[in-house]
Order: sequence, then C-alpha cells, then structure tokens
Amino acid sequence: MAQQANIGELVSMLDSPVLSVRDDVTAVFKENLNSDRGPMLVNTLVDYYLETSSQPVLHILTTLQEPHDKHLLDKMNDCVGRAASRLPALSLLGHVIRLQPPWKHKLSQAPLLPSLLKCLKVDTDVIVLTTGVLVLITMLPMIPQSGKQHLHDFFDIFGRLSSWCLKKPGHVTEIYLVHLHASVYALFHRLYGMYPCNFVSFLRSHYSMKENLDTFEEVVRPMMEHVRIHPELVTGSKDHELDPRRWKRLETHDVVIECAKISLDPTEASYEDGDSVSPQVSAHFPHRAADVAASPYVDTQNSCGSATSTPYSSSRLTLLNTPGQPPQTLSPPSTRLLTEPPQATLWSPSMVCGMTTPPTSPGNVPPDLSHPYSKVFGPTAGGKGTPLGTPATSPPPAPLCHPDDYVHPSVLQATATPPRKEERTDSARPCLHRQHHLPNDRGLEELSGSKGSVTLSDLPGFLGDLASEEDSVEKDKEEAAISKELSEITTADAELLVPRGGFDSPFYRDSLPGCPRKTHSAASVAHGTSVNPEPLNSSLDKLGPDAPKQAFTPIDLPCGGTSESPAGNRERQASLETNILTPSPCKIPPQRGVGLGSGQPPPYEHLFEVALPKTAHHFVGKKTKELLKKAKGNAEEDRAPSTSPVEILDRLIQQGADAHSKELNRLSLPSKSVDWTHFGGSPPSDEIRTLRNQLLLLHNQLLYERFKRQQHALRNRRLLRRVTRAAALEEHNAAMKDQLKLQEKDIQIWKVSLQKEQARNSQLQEQRDTMVTQLHSQIRQLQHDREEFYNQSQELQTKLEDCRNMIAELRLELKKANSKVCHTELLLSQVSQKLSNSESVQQQMEFLNRQLLVLGEVNELYLEQLQNKHSDTTKEVEMMKAAYRKELEKNRSHVLQQNQRLDTSQKRILELESHLAKKDHLLLEQKKYLEDVKLQARGQLQAAESRYEAQKRITQVFELEILDLYGRLEKDSLLKKLEEEKAEAAEAAEERLACCKDGCSDSVTGHNEEAPGHNGETKPPRPAGVRGGGGSRGGGSGELSTPEKPPSQRAGPFGSRWETTTGEPAASIPTTVGSLPSSKSFLGRKARELFRNKSESQCDEDSVTISSLSETLKTEPGKDPGAEGKAPPSLDGPHPSPPTPDSVGQLHIMDYNETHHEHSEG
Amino acid sequence: MTEDSQRNFRSVYYEKVGFRGVEEKKSLEILLKDDRLDIEKLCTFSQRFPLPSMYRALVWKVLLGILPPHHESHAQVMLYRKEQYCDVLHALKVVRCVTEATPQVEVYLRMYQLESGKLPRSPSFPLEPEDEVFLAIAKAVEEMVEDSVDCYWIIRCFVNQLNNKYREFLPQLPKAFEQYLNLEDSRLLSHLKTCSALSKLPYDLWFKRCFAGCLPESSLQRVWDKVVSGSCKILVFVAVEILLTFKIKVMALNSAEKITKFLENVSMLFSNLILNLERKSFGKPDFFIASHSFSDIFTL
Repeated sequence: MAQQANIGELVSMLDSPVLSVRDDVTAVFKENLNSDRGPMLVNTLVDYYLETSSQPVLHILTTLQEPHDKHLLDKMNDCVGRAASRLPALSLLGHVIRLQPPWKHKLSQAPLLPSLLKCLKVDTDVIVLTTGVLVLITMLPMIPQSGKQHLHDFFDIFGRLSSWCLKKPGHVTEIYLVHLHASVYALFHRLYGMYPCNFVSFLRSHYSMKENLDTFEEVVRPMMEHVRIHPELVTGSKDHELDPRRWKRLETHDVVIECAKISLDPTEASYEDGDSVSPQVSAHFPHRAADVAASPYVDTQNSCGSATSTPYSSSRLTLLNTPGQPPQTLSPPSTRLLTEPPQATLWSPSMVCGMTTPPTSPGNVPPDLSHPYSKVFGPTAGGKGTPLGTPATSPPPAPLCHPDDYVHPSVLQATATPPRKEERTDSARPCLHRQHHLPNDRGLEELSGSKGSVTLSDLPGFLGDLASEEDSVEKDKEEAAISKELSEITTADAELLVPRGGFDSPFYRDSLPGCPRKTHSAASVAHGTSVNPEPLNSSLDKLGPDAPKQAFTPIDLPCGGTSESPAGNRERQASLETNILTPSPCKIPPQRGVGLGSGQPPPYEHLFEVALPKTAHHFVGKKTKELLKKAKGNAEEDRAPSTSPVEILDRLIQQGADAHSKELNRLSLPSKSVDWTHFGGSPPSDEIRTLRNQLLLLHNQLLYERFKRQQHALRNRRLLRRVTRAAALEEHNAAMKDQLKLQEKDIQIWKVSLQKEQARNSQLQEQRDTMVTQLHSQIRQLQHDREEFYNQSQELQTKLEDCRNMIAELRLELKKANSKVCHTELLLSQVSQKLSNSESVQQQMEFLNRQLLVLGEVNELYLEQLQNKHSDTTKEVEMMKAAYRKELEKNRSHVLQQNQRLDTSQKRILELESHLAKKDHLLLEQKKYLEDVKLQARGQLQAAESRYEAQKRITQVFELEILDLYGRLEKDSLLKKLEEEKAEAAEAAEERLACCKDGCSDSVTGHNEEAPGHNGETKPPRPAGVRGGGGSRGGGSGELSTPEKPPSQRAGPFGSRWETTTGEPAASIPTTVGSLPSSKSFLGRKARELFRNKSESQCDEDSVTISSLSETLKTEPGKDPGAEGKAPPSLDGPHPSPPTPDSVGQLHIMDYNETHHEHSEG
Repeated sequence: MTEDSQRNFRSVYYEKVGFRGVEEKKSLEILLKDDRLDIEKLCTFSQRFPLPSMYRALVWKVLLGILPPHHESHAQVMLYRKEQYCDVLHALKVVRCVTEATPQVEVYLRMYQLESGKLPRSPSFPLEPEDEVFLAIAKAVEEMVEDSVDCYWIIRCFVNQLNNKYREFLPQLPKAFEQYLNLEDSRLLSHLKTCSALSKLPYDLWFKRCFAGCLPESSLQRVWDKVVSGSCKILVFVAVEILLTFKIKVMALNSAEKITKFLENVSMLFSNLILNLERKSFGKPDFFIASHSFSDIFTL
C-alpha cells in the first residue's frame, strides 16, 4: 500500500512544474518499470493519465518496454470497456500506436482489438467513434494480416459509420459529423487500399440492400470518386489479399503508401511513382488560380446553370451581361475560362454571404446577415488590393485593414516564415474563407436539412467576418445589393431545392449555391431591406477589374511553372496579364499563403514546409490541383469529383482557426458576450464543451495526419536512400563503362598486333612452303637416284646369283667327276685284285690239276687194291653200325635225362632266388623294426636318462644339503676340538702313522675301485664350490666313517697323509681331498651305491649289456665292505699304486654325469 | 585310400569355398593315429593349422620330446616323467627349498633349477632374469595345462627349446622385427627411431617370454603352437602387428618410456583386436609360414 501511495505521489510529481523533478521522477518510473514486471505500476500510470492526461505520463506510457505491453493493453482494454474512460483510453491507444512500439504486432492478438471493434460498432458518441476510427486506421497498416479475423468487423464498422454520416442518429452535432465523415473517408481509403476485393464485395453486398442505397449514394459513392480502380481488383483475389505473405514484405509505411497510391484525392494521394493522378491534375493545374478565387462561385454558377432553372439563368444572364461577357451557359467547357473573370467579380459578396450565414435559426440571423458579405468582401478587396498597388479600388474598409495589410508587402516579399502566419490570417484569409465556405455551406445545408441548430463551428467563421466587417459600413449598400440579387436567385432556387429534398451528393454542388441563396432569401425576407440591382451592378463593375487581380494574379503566375497547360489556359493568362500590372515578386507569397491556407492551419505547418520543402510543394500543388480540378469539374458541369470529406474538414478547421483568432482579438470587447447571446446559440458553457470536443477531434485528426506524415517521411527516407544508391550504381556503371572502353582499346591494340603476327606468320608459312617444296623436289631426285642404284644393285645381285649358281653347278660337277675318279680307281683296284686272284686261282688250278692227276693215279691204285680185298669188311661194318646205333640210343636217353635234371635245377634256382628276395625283404623289415624299436627304446631311454639325470641332481642337492649341514656341525665341533688338539699332539702322532697307512690304502683302493668303473677319464674340474664342499665333506666323512677315531686325529693326519704318501706339495691337497668323497666316506659309498643301482637297472633295461662292466659293478658292492677294512686289488681294475700326481689329478676328477654317459654309451 | 575314406568327402570343397581348418581335427587325428608319430608332419601341421585344444597338450609333448613318437612307450615314458617329477619335487621338499605354501610356478622354477643344477643355496636368493622369463612362461603354461606333471614338463622343455634351439635366433629377432616393420610401415619405424624407442621396445617381453603374460591365453596358445613347432619368427610378426594396430596411439606418443609402457600395458587390453588385425595383415606369401596359418592362429 505504501508503495502504491508512493507511486501516487510520484505520479503527481510528474506534473510538477519543476523540470528537474519531472525528469527525476520520470527516471524513477523508468527504473521501476525496468525492475518491476507487475501490472500495478502501469495500471496506476494509465489511471493517472486517464484522469489528468498528463504529458509526462503519456510519454512514459508510450515508451513502455516489452514486458509491460500486455499490462498496458489489458488496462486499456479495461478502460475501453468502460464508457467513461473510453475516450481517453482510445486517445492513449492512439498515442501509443502512433509511436509504433516494437510490440505492435501483438496488437492483433490483444483483446484490445476486438473490444475496440466492438466499441466502434456499438458506441454512439461521435467523438469516441472518430477517435476510434482514426486509431483503427492507424493500426490497420501495422497489423495487416490480422485483417483476416476482423475483416468483417472493419467492414461492418465502415457500414455503420458511413450510414451515420447520413442518418445522424441521436443528437449528433453536425460539426462532429464532419470529423466523423473525414475519418470514415480515411477508413474507406484504408480498407479499399488494403483489401480491395473483400471490400468491394462487401460494398456490393451491403449496398445492394435497399435500405443502404441512400447511404451509398450520399456517402460512399462520393468517396469512390476519389479512388482509382485498385490493381488488386484485377489481379488479386479475396484470399490473396488476406495472405500473410503478401503483407510480410510490406512495412507499415509501405502499406500506408500503397493505400495512398490508389487515392485520387490530392490530399491523400501519393504520386511519387508518377501515377495517373498527376497528369490529370497537371492538366487542371493552370486553372488553379481560377478555382482558388472563384471556385465557390464557379460552383454556384455552374450548378445553377446545370440546375436549369430559368429564372436563375436569366438572372445570371443579366449578371453576365453587365460585365459584357457572353453567356457562359451556351458553351460551358470552352467558354469557361472566359467567363471566369466575371465570375470572380461576382463571387465574393454573394458567395461569402451565403456561406457564412448561419442559416438555421432565422430568428437570429437578420441583423448580421449582411455583415459577412461585406466583411468577406471588404478584406479581400482591401487585403488583396493593397499589396497589388491598387488601393484606389479598395473600399472604405481598407483603412481599417491597413495596419494588417501593410505588413504584407514587406513580409511577403521577404518570404519569411513567421510573418507568413500573420499574413495568412489577413491576406490569405479571404481565400481561406472562400474555401471554407464550402464545408461550411455543406454543414449548414445538412443542418438545415435536418432542422438542426446553428453549429458553433460555423460561428467563428462568420464571427471573424463580422469582426472585420464591423467597420465597413459603406459596404452595406453593396452587400445589400448583392443580397438582393441573391435573394432573387434564391427565391427561384429555393423552389427548386425544396422538391429535390435531400442533399444527396450528386446534387451536392447544386445545393451548395442553393443554400446561400436560400439563406439570403431568408435574410432578405427577414430584413425586409430593399435592395436595388444597380449598386450591385456598380459594385460589380467596380470590382470587375479588381477581383481578378487579387484573386488570380498571385496564384496564377506561380502556377505558370506548369506551362504544359492547355491552350485555354494561355489565353486566359494572356487576358489576365493585360489586366494585371502587379510585379511578379508578389506572386509567390500569396500563393504560398493560399496553399497553406488551403491546408490545415496548424502552427507547425510552416516548420513542416521548411523542413520538407518538397513535400510542402507537393502538398501545395496537391491542394491547388485539387481545387483546380474541382473548379474545372464544376465548370464542366460534371459532378464526378466531389469534394472530399477531408477537404471539407480542412476548410472547417481553417475557418475555425480564423474565427478563433478573431475571437481572440475580440475578447476584450464587451460586446462579445452579447454576441454570443445575441446569436442565440447554445449557452457558452455548452459551446465551450463542444469546442473542446471539436478541439479534441481536431487533435485526433491532426495526430492521424501527423502519423501519416511520419509514414511518408519514413518512406521518403527510404526512397532517398534508394536514390543515393542508384546514383552510386550509376557512377559505378560509368566507371565500368570507362573500364570497358579502356579494355576495348586494349582489345583493338591486341587485334592489330594479332593481325601483324598473322601476316608474319603467313610470310613464314610461305617461306616454309617454298622450302618444303624445294626439299621435296630434292628428295624426289634423290629417291630417283636411289631407285636407279637399287635397280643396278638388283641387276648385279642377279648376276651374282647366277655366278653363284654356276659355281655351285661347277662344284657339283667337280664332285661328280671326283667321285667318278674315285669309283674308277676303286674299280681299278678291284680289277687288279681280281686279276691277281685269278692269277692265283690259275696257279691253284694248275696245282689242283696236278693233284687231280696225282689223285687219279692214286685212285686207280686204290681201286686196284680194293678190288683185291673187298670180301670181309662188310660184316665188321655192320656190327660196328649196330654198336654205334646202340650207343646213340644210350646217349640220347642220357641227354634227355640231363635235360630234365637241368630243368629241375633251374626251377630250384628260381625258387631259391625268390626265397632269397623274401629273406632280404624280411631282413629289411626286420631292420626297420629294429630301428623302430631302437628309436622307441631310445625314447624311453632318454626319458629314463633324464630321470636319472634328475636323480643325480637330486642327489647332488641332497649332498649339498647334507654337506652344508655337516659343515655347520663341523664348524661347531672344530672350534671345540682345536684346543684339545695340542694336548693330545704327542700320542696322536704315533697313532697317526698307523692310521695314515690304513686310511691311505683305504682311499687308494677306493679310488682304484672307482677309477676302472669310470675308466679314470680326465674330466673338467668340478666347480670350486663343489670341490670346497667336497673338501669339507671329506673331513666330515672321515669323521663319520671312522667313528672310533677322534675327529681331531682324522682331520689332522688327513692332509699330512697325502703329503707323506704322494710327496705332493701342500697345494695339491685340496684337490685330492675333493676327489675322494665317494670312495671313502659313508656318504660317498652310499652315493655310489645309488649310482650303481641306477646304472645297473639301466643296463638291465638296455638289453644290450656290457658284461664286463656290469660284472665289475656287481662285484663292487660285495667288495666294498672288504675294501673298507683292507685294500685288495680289484679284479679287473688296475693295480693299486701309490697315487702319482697324475693319477691324483685323474682321480680327483669325478663326474657322475660323464660316467653315466659312458655307461649308457657302453 | 583309408585316409581318404575317413576324411569327409566335402573337405575338397571346403577349401575351395574358403573354409580352412574345417578338417584339421580329422587330419590331426589321422596323423596321431600313426604308430611312430611323424614328428615332421606334426610340425608342419602345427605350423599350418591351429591345434584343436583337446590335442594340443599331446602334440606339444610330442613335439617338445616329452613323449616319444611311439604310442606304446608313451605310458612308460610318462611314468618315468612322473616319477622324475615326483622325485625332484620330493627332493626339493626334503631340502626344504619348497613347502606346501610355495606357489606352483615357483615350485616349477625350483624344480627346473634343480634339474639344471642351478638351484641357489637359499630360496631368498634374488631371481636371475632368465628365472623371470621362466616364471612368466610357467604362469602362462599353467593356465593352459591342467596336469602339473605335464605342465612342468612342457615348461621345462619349452624353456629348454628356447635356450638351446633358438639361442642363436632370439638375439636376431629385434633386427628382423625392425626389418619387417620397415616393410609394413616405414613411417612408424622412423617415428620410433626418432623417439629412440626402437631399442627400448619390450623385446624381452616379446621374444624372450614369447608374449607370455602379454596375450590372452587362447591367442598365446596359437602363437606358441608355432613356437613349439619350431618357428620363432612368428614372434616378430606378432610384435609388428601389435605395433601396427596401435600405430596411431604410438605415433601420438613421443618418449621412448611412454611407448614402452604403453606397449607393455596396452597389449593386454586390446590383444583381441590385435589378433583380428593380425589375421588380416599377414596374408603375404613371403612370410615363412603360409599365410592362412596365421589367419588361423587367431580365429578363436
């Protein structure tokens, strides 16, 4: 609570007049807002703002940061819900939105939007509605995509409010409606700009209903005259325009500009892109001058003409005739320009009268009715006249105006900004007035139509007029004349108007003039003043030359810039120039003034102009164009482009400002209050309220316009950036072009050089070609030569071949000849041999022949003998034959027998041979088997050997252990016995000798016993450690083996014994001692036994036994005991002999391993 | 013919398809069926194929000469061996060199020392480096073989083989290792050289102990199959492969001590991985053992 109170205090301090306090408090708030996330502070601030509408609070609220936006929106939602706080909440919302907070996108989701829409739908307060609509319009471009949900709400609101503009439910003040209308107009633009398809379809559906038809005709249709066809209507669709993608590309100001683009209304439209608006406008431009001054009048006139009211037109004709102008009605468009000047002369009194009169309450009007005309007329004439150097024409009011007016020339010429404001108030006022009349009139008309009371907003207008008019008494006459004239018109006109009824927009133009006329008539009737036409005429005459000057010159010339005007314009210009003597310098300022005047009159306007001259220019241009257009349109009697509600509002505001300034001037006057009452309007308080509301509305409008302006500025900035970028790019392009040129030059150069190179190349080519041809010819020649040579060689070769063949043939022949020779030789030799043979054969033959002869002789002899002894030989022969036969038989059988025997024996041999082979095979197998068995045996043997080996090692270890133990024992005893030794030395000496012999023989036998067993091989000495062990063991063993003898005796003589027996040096003793372990000691024996057993068993296992060795081994165990006592020589061992040094060396070496090895090998 | 009929008729196709060693067990059984075992063939078989674990002990014993090639003498020889074992053990007990509390491995060591005549006088005598080697190998064998007699004999003969048969080769192995590493990956070798770690690699662990305590039992068995069958070069290949496997990590290490330490430790952890890789990389014909035998060493 305390905090809240605190905040309350602080909030109130925000409004403190002290600047520093305010700053501090603001800082405190901001800090709080940064630290605190709760809604409380924001709520308090909003409440406070709603109460006081304090500016600093507003500032804080509008700059709220992200986390608070929700609270703010919620709070505002609350406030909008409540009727009481609705308006300030809406205005706060407007403020907040216009600043475009970063969280604006959240608006579419906020509940505030629906409630705002709801409020717009149900509320009946115009101020709230106007404010709300403006807020909504401002908001729409920020949340374009949210249109989807609320689109129909927007349309409904539009429908409702547009119908409001016409139907005016409740007691709505007219003047508010102007605002409302303007805002509805803006809403129309926005909706049409953003959602054309949807909107148009809405319009179609909504206004197709009969009850809405009026509204359409009256309100919507004029609005539609101010928009172009939206391109989206052609290209887009309902869905497409609601597509968020479409909106994503556009920023807020883009949307605003988009909307502005489709507007034909110069105040709204943007023609940055050279849109279609501008040509039209520019076409109308030259006429601007005319419409500024004369538009109201033209309006009336044209409309009158169009109204085709004969009385009016006739009066018109008379009027027109007086200045000596042709009747314009005959040729409206073409003659318009010509008719303008006279119109201008006509306009001022009548129009101003008509417009400024508060028409509604007839009772009040009469006294003042005449004043406006004179007032308006007066200043215009005077104000304009003076600067232009035509004071003569100025009517009596001039003096009064002088103080003001005299300022003008200097100020205007100086074109300084601040004075311009004043200037506007005075010199520009006439123009302004004229412009303002339109809305005023309209308002009045509406009022009159609805039988409403006089609006306050109208009052300032003609109050100002009154103020200025007070002095111009002389004008009365003229005015009276004018009014008279007008009354004439109106009387006729009124008749026309009545049947027509409503002021529907098509007839809007017509009604405009109608109204003043009516009022005038009313006034005139009320006054009962007699008005004669002559003064009017005279005044017209008098004004005739004047009016154009004032009105046209200042405006026309500046517009001369747009010289593209149609010929008609030039004509008129020429005609004007003839009339106008004014120097050019004065022209611009008035124009300026007019331009400004035609816009809203807010005080920042000039700043705006300075800051953005271009915009200002546009603005002015727009304004003027619009007016021009309007004028033209009127002149052409086409009713199409009606005045936009915005413009009406503009004029209203202008008038209001005028009135206000006048009011201020008049504040001092006591008559003021009288005036109020005199007018019979509502009581002041009420009016003040109305005024305040109006001010509020104006403020809203202003803010809205400002927002738009900001959007435009944003866009302008962006465009400017684009322009600069484009310029930069152009520059870049230029640079690139330069580069390109340079490169082209380079290329040219290169091309030239390329050509050169090509030429050279071709030359070289030619040279080469000639060379080549030359060489080719050479080659050909050479080839030819070669060919010839080749042929020659070929010939030679063939010749050679022939020769060779010949040689070969010859050789063959030679060979043949040789062979023939040989053959013949051979034959020769054969022949000779045969010859010799034959010779020898001949000899033999001769010899044989001789023998034959001899034998023949012998045969003859034997035959003689045989014949002698032939009888007894045959018997013997036969017997012999038989014997031979028998013998042959015998032999044959024998041979058979022998053959048989041979066969058998051969068989036998074969048998035996196979047997032998079998045996061999068997033998081989047996051998193999034997080998196998041997191997097996060896394997087993190896295992056994290793086992034996292990045993040996074990034994060694055992021995080692035992010896170790002995050594220890001995050491103990040795120490003991050493003392006794000396005492027993003498007796021990004798004993020693005997003992020595005994021990010596003993040991020797042991050795001999063992040596043969081990073959006494020399072996590498055992390691010293073992030997040492042996030494100690020797001592130990002696002791053990001969327990009957004192150890001292044994130990002592042991060494000496060896000395005596061997005569060896003492040094050899240890070795000998080391060699004796097994032979002598019990242990040694034991070990040997073990060893022997082992070897025996091994031998057994080995089927191969070495008998002699085994015998020795077998006998040994038996001998050992004997050897203990005596030393008989072993059977097969060498005889015991005194150990020589050599034998000792042999003996002392004992290696089980080696012996064992031997055994196994043996 | 009998052998062929006993063998699976599909065996021909197995090799074609790429399954090696499917028929190994059968063929080994055939080999073992011979009376008078053919040691040469067994050696070749052992080098070619992984031994089935059920026959491993037998084959090792035969190859190491613990058992003769003749079946009929096996029983007797085994009896001898056992007796010898008992005798030696008894002797040690008598000498009080070994008690009941002595760990089995040390018992083996003492027995071996006794048999080789190197038994120190006191058990507290500091161990020689070769004793350490013996202990490592004994530990490995103890895990492989259940029977303590077999175990002792295998250890004994294995160590003897190392000491006698491979005496000349073992010192050359580091050289061979360097050479093969150069063939395989010269960058790694140069890295080792720059770190001067080449001389400090755990050669002792690798070559003297034959990776005992370095590889897991199953892989070790396969490596030792080859060692027992007479090729000590396998040790080099295993070492090279270990280095190649951990090439990246070794390359990352810079000091010799770190590399050595890493190799000593890490090979324990990743030996399986190594072996898989080893299978891949020893597919070269110029190795003295047929490549597939290598691949089979490590297929567990």
